[in-house]
Amino acid sequence: MTRSDKPARDGSAGNRWLPGNPTAVGDDPDYRFTLANERTFLAWVRTALALSAGGLAALTVLDDVRYEELLGIGLLALSFLTAATSYRRWALNERAMRLNVPLPPSRLPLMMAIGVAVVALVAAVIAAVNQ
Amino acid sequence: MSRRSRGLPERPTTVFDSMLQHERTALAWERTAIATMVSGVLLARHASDVNVILAVLGVAQVLVGAGLLIWTGLRYEQLHAPLRRGDSPVHPAAARVVGLTTVVFTAAAMVVAVASTI
Repeated sequence: MTRSDKPARDGSAGNRWLPGNPTAVGDDPDYRFTLANERTFLAWVRTALALSAGGLAALTVLDDVRYEELLGIGLLALSFLTAATSYRRWALNERAMRLNVPLPPSRLPLMMAIGVAVVALVAAVIAAVNQ
Repeated sequence: MSRRSRGLPERPTTVFDSMLQHERTALAWERTAIATMVSGVLLARHASDVNVILAVLGVAQVLVGAGLLIWTGLRYEQLHAPLRRGDSPVHPAAARVVGLTTVVFTAAAMVVAVASTI
């Protein structure tokens, strides 16, 4: 099964951001796999929410710190990216489990690591500038 | 009033799932609902600095989180019987609703943050 340009309505991965309903293809996997995939999806959603809470808190609490908006908007942008990709990950994983093929690789953990590292650097620079 | 007459399944007396996957998943849903509410409070707080009316965005997020918390409790109860029967617990609609609302609220937070710096 390739993930190339198929229409999304038959459960294929055609649409880049909103894959079709994965239950349209394959067979029900072990219920534990489905629940594990659901928990992973929820963990990504919570990561997005935690980043947004951090960004909003930076903007609200650090009001008298210079360039604090860079930190806040950076965290919020990372939060939006995470949220925007979470459903896609869930649907592609569920689809692979139903077709009994390997789960698709994800660049999301790498993006998250780089993003958080950049935010930490920005925070360090802001702290130094405000000394 | 008995559980049956309220439309709820009878409470099971044994745990059939030795790895407690069902319970862990329900807890993950609950944590997500609570995180949605916390993020909503912070959005309302920051948005009201820009314009009081924008606080509605954060309040809406809190309400979505609260609704999700109630739904997830009901779903935990109702999923016992299907899991025992061997039915798949997959719920694409729930994933879509949570995924989409999180995208909307994180986008709203970003727009408010950019607006507050201009």
